[in-house]
Amino acid sequence: MKRTHLAAALAVVLTLAACSTKAGDSGSSGSDSSGVKTGKGVTATEVTLGVMTDKSGVFKNLGLGVTQGNELWAKDFNAAGGACGRQVKLEEVDHGYKADTAKTLYPQIEPKVLGFVQLLGSPVVAALKQNLATDKAVAAPASWSSELLDNPYVMIVGTTYDVEMIDGLAYLQEQGLIKDGDTIGHVYIDGEYGKNGLRGSQFYAKKHNLTVKEVKITSTDSDLTNVVTGLKGAGVKAIALTTTPAQTGSAVAANKALGLNVPVLGNNPTFDPALLKSPAAGALDKLTVVASSVPFSADLPKAKDVAAKYKAAYKETPNGGVPYGYAVGEVWGAVLKKACDNKDLTRDGIAAALKQTTSVSTDDLVAALDFSKPGTPATRQVYAATPDATAEGGVRYVKPLFEAPEAKEYVAPHQK
Amino acid sequence: MSDSAVSEVDTLPETAEPARPRRDPAKLVRTAAWLALLVVLLALPLYLDAAWLKAGQYMMIGAVGAIGLTLVVGQAGQLSLAHAFFLLAGGTAYTVLSGPTGDDRVIGFGLDPGLSLLGAVAVAALLGLAFAPVAGRLRGIYLGVASLALVFLGLYFGQSAEELTGGTSTGRTPAPFSLFGFPFTNDGPQLALLGVPIRAAERMWYLFLLLTVIAFVIARGAAGGRVGRSWRAVRDNEAAAAVMGVSVLRAKAGAFAVSSAYGGLAGAMTVLWFDILKPDESEFGTYGINVSIAFLAMVIIGGLGSVPGALVGALIVNGLPQVLALYSADLGWFSGTGDGALTPVLVSSFVYGAAIILVVLFEPGGLAAIGRRITQRRFRRQPPEEP
Repeated sequence: MKRTHLAAALAVVLTLAACSTKAGDSGSSGSDSSGVKTGKGVTATEVTLGVMTDKSGVFKNLGLGVTQGNELWAKDFNAAGGACGRQVKLEEVDHGYKADTAKTLYPQIEPKVLGFVQLLGSPVVAALKQNLATDKAVAAPASWSSELLDNPYVMIVGTTYDVEMIDGLAYLQEQGLIKDGDTIGHVYIDGEYGKNGLRGSQFYAKKHNLTVKEVKITSTDSDLTNVVTGLKGAGVKAIALTTTPAQTGSAVAANKALGLNVPVLGNNPTFDPALLKSPAAGALDKLTVVASSVPFSADLPKAKDVAAKYKAAYKETPNGGVPYGYAVGEVWGAVLKKACDNKDLTRDGIAAALKQTTSVSTDDLVAALDFSKPGTPATRQVYAATPDATAEGGVRYVKPLFEAPEAKEYVAPHQK
Repeated sequence: MSDSAVSEVDTLPETAEPARPRRDPAKLVRTAAWLALLVVLLALPLYLDAAWLKAGQYMMIGAVGAIGLTLVVGQAGQLSLAHAFFLLAGGTAYTVLSGPTGDDRVIGFGLDPGLSLLGAVAVAALLGLAFAPVAGRLRGIYLGVASLALVFLGLYFGQSAEELTGGTSTGRTPAPFSLFGFPFTNDGPQLALLGVPIRAAERMWYLFLLLTVIAFVIARGAAGGRVGRSWRAVRDNEAAAAVMGVSVLRAKAGAFAVSSAYGGLAGAMTVLWFDILKPDESEFGTYGINVSIAFLAMVIIGGLGSVPGALVGALIVNGLPQVLALYSADLGWFSGTGDGALTPVLVSSFVYGAAIILVVLFEPGGLAAIGRRITQRRFRRQPPEEP
């Protein structure tokens, strides 16, 4: 009886399998009439780029901003003629900042795209790292850890957290706020983001004989008063932060309330203009933020242009993700043009073109970028800024793009 | 493999009364149904795209973990919120055992991946056994809270034992799985079945299916046999169980160890599925409280103690977000953004939240009880006394 069941079932399966639709799918590759080699994600009229973003999870505001920046760029790029006569199309998916959802969505989107103009979220980037290498897909992660650079297909637009920190500490020293031999505190979130920032302060400390009091926290901690109290006891002359904006607010408020009043230095993600409306607003004057990309309403011609286009196209409240998303698009545009000149729009062609890209100008949305040395941050320049409620966009630049000599010497983890 | 798996399910001890003269139609139908399901699962890779296979594999991870949890919570009556910790332990054990030797950043033993998988299960089981003194003394919500401490311990060790886990900033890559030299990646022999190339996604599907079937068969065997009876006896009344000659402490420790072993297997599957072992940065993540609670939800929705119920629970809890995300990407559903927007993740949270409330209010036996009632009505006979 059982055997008949099995046999019958097998017969059904075989019949069904004979008409399986999945068989024989192969990647379309070849070259078009003008001799441009094409592969996945490229048709005669279109180049499709992937956007894996967070539209529903904890970073949905940032994700939306970056995506809208990407869209604005695609519109401008297509209006200017596109690449090899092909228009750029964006294929967007929402993973909700969940690595498992991203892992499932990836095989769905991967065959349709040439590469990724956005890959948001460090857990997502970590989970997809292997896939990117296997599929040779170039991707721009919205995460700036130099630990990611061991993957040649990862394109980090801007500098990395460690370099930001080195430049920032050099700025504090230049201003006479810290000197050789001082003790400084570094509060960091244990993870890709925080540990990378810590690498920077450790390197700088070694160069200048500083003592770093390291304080490890988790991203869910909300009150840093006890941490700052401890740092006060240790006699720190400055506090470095690689934290969330809410934690920054708590740290600067404690800095003031406890009468410590030392300068506070933060990586790019530590500041959010929303802090200016928080109870910590009065204590933000001690904060200096270092970043390689500009905020939404930066006083730059290109940033103003993007902001104007944004206001015409969308009605949401913009954030720093918009100019960043636009800048990543500009970098992709430069790489696509290079690949086009090489007559190779395949994934291999993109990876090769990326390595030949030595100076992308994003009109100062991001410092000039050089992708020719894998493992090395594409730039080591940052802006220094301080929160200012009266300035549009919430920050005022205190030092334009600069690169500290220590940052030049610094060897990133995967630098050859 | 498939044939023997089903015949084992077939001969559940409660139902196998000696030499019935007439064949029991309900049993036959049930056997046929399991068989048909297995055949369908075996054939799916021929039709589904890699993304759907990936989603299916994630459900199987949930199924293996949930089967383990339903044994300890449902059968042995011990509330455990530590499942995520055993996932982390199993994943770490697999990665360390199979990791390459001579890496100066992380420890690796360079063992065969198949052996490492067994090792991961063994390590998790031993850790579960080590928790037995606690599990033996506490019960109910107190045990739940005590076991929750393990999740936080896992968070701490995951972050600080960087030589094992690779640390939170980079994690480490597990060795790709291979069995007797056959790789479960795109490498190795180019296979094709009925014109469908059998590559990494399909190979992993069959591997996960095999592991799930083994996990299922063993759990059915344990629940239906002497071990399961002793667990249920302890759950229902410890004094009575002791009078009948059941060693209460041993039964409790055994149930915890078995469930941990399942957690360890699910953990090894998790790192293979993600292609990375990366300890969590906070208490929510791949091995966080949220995962422990998700497993508990699977078990409650499926019906406490029911092994097939755990499968269905995993299908709902682990599968729904994935399936909705895939569909919504295909069809452009839930494309809104902002605070009030409906998203696949949100919708599936509502669905499984609602499922738990409905189950607790109207059918505390879970989907398993509903399933039993349906079969009972069809065949108008008492179903086997399954918990």
